[in-house]
Amino acid sequence: MIVTPKIFARLVAIAILAVLLQLSFFSRVELLHTSADILPAVVVSLGLLGGSMTGAVAGFSIGFLVDCLLIAPLGGSSLVLLGAGYAAGLFRERFDIHSALLPPLICMALTLLAELGYAVVQVMLGVDAPVSVLIVRDMLLKSIYAFFLAWPIYFGLRRLLRPALVEEPMVTRRRQPTVLGTRRA
Amino acid sequence: MYRKQVRRRRAVLALLVIGSFLLLTITYGQSSGSVQSGVSAVFSPLQSVADRALKPARDLVGWFDKTFDARGENSRLKDELASVRKQAVAGQEALSENAQLRKLVKLDRGPALAESAYEPVTGRVIGRSPTVWNSTVNVDVGSADGVKVDDPVVSGDGLVGIVASTQGGSSQVTLITDHTSAVSAKVVPGGVQGVIRPNVGDPEDLILDFIDSTKDVHGGQSVVTSGWRAQGLESLFPPGLPVGEVTSASIVEQEASQQVHLRPYADIANLDLIQVLTGGSRG
Repeated sequence: MIVTPKIFARLVAIAILAVLLQLSFFSRVELLHTSADILPAVVVSLGLLGGSMTGAVAGFSIGFLVDCLLIAPLGGSSLVLLGAGYAAGLFRERFDIHSALLPPLICMALTLLAELGYAVVQVMLGVDAPVSVLIVRDMLLKSIYAFFLAWPIYFGLRRLLRPALVEEPMVTRRRQPTVLGTRRA
Repeated sequence: MYRKQVRRRRAVLALLVIGSFLLLTITYGQSSGSVQSGVSAVFSPLQSVADRALKPARDLVGWFDKTFDARGENSRLKDELASVRKQAVAGQEALSENAQLRKLVKLDRGPALAESAYEPVTGRVIGRSPTVWNSTVNVDVGSADGVKVDDPVVSGDGLVGIVASTQGGSSQVTLITDHTSAVSAKVVPGGVQGVIRPNVGDPEDLILDFIDSTKDVHGGQSVVTSGWRAQGLESLFPPGLPVGEVTSASIVEQEASQQVHLRPYADIANLDLIQVLTGGSRG
């Protein structure tokens, strides 16, 4: 990804918008008693589009902003999301993304890993209460929601960041040669 | 050239990971740092705007979710209504009797009713944590409205949590479902006391711990805050705030205590309007 000042501004706007949407909307609506978490999907999409550096930095920044807004211990979300972003970026650098199904599948898998990451960080910091097995259901449902939400997120971000994408094939429309102003069959 | 790129990438990754661990080490256990307070103060107006703008969409999704749930809840609520009706009649009788007795013994509102000294400040939830590990919400009232750290927070149905930090126009509330939460409470009627702790990952289940296994606790009983006061120390919560209803009780082997499960009265997952009880006897 070629990060010009304009693209950088877009990335900052994407990060802020994603965090605000998560805290004000997605965290507050539940389907089957579980709310969706779009932040791993956004970070993974940025990693898939921009590479491991973009993914890691975006993950760290988005995690930092979330922890600041929720007055949570700083660094927890950053650590988890930077891991997800970096992993997505590495995948993009090593393999080609041929299928349109691949980004949502990667988002789903890495969201599940991110949810496990949150759990590991929390266990590392100490959990002062019993933990319900329902947390497993919560993690699985969050990753399934990520699969469906990844479609608009990934393709929306790709459209938004298209000028900065190095390997994005340009869609060119060649004019058909004409004879005396009429199109050749 | 490629090697240089890889080395630079690894260096950035290492820097970010070390930065994350450093931040965790420095800020863990603190209620709020100046950076967090500053960022939160800057973003709280934006959160407030986003909250209002997204309310119709939230309501729409919520409607679908509640429609699924409503079918199962209908029969349970019918049973509950019948038993609550009986309790209400008994409660009315007790209230009138209580008023008469109060007149007789000239009781004033004593320290047990310290909640009357609280000034409720109504606020709106403007943000919520995305993970179940940190069960917190952001509200649009802060120190400018008289809100202080450790003020209790209630909804129309019961206890919700406690204020963890405040800024000028916003506050962060730690919910009773957060793993750090512990509320001293008692079962009524009966007065059996214990400590309410969350069952992390299940917002509809709380655990009332440290209950003597010889005490009789059964489903349907209410649990309220106990609001103790001893040797200059007192509970952060005023007495008598409704918390939840007992769903089951089980004896914990080897501990000579029983674990009581309760369902919170407050709809923790769908909080919108809350009240912060400011002031109080803690000053």
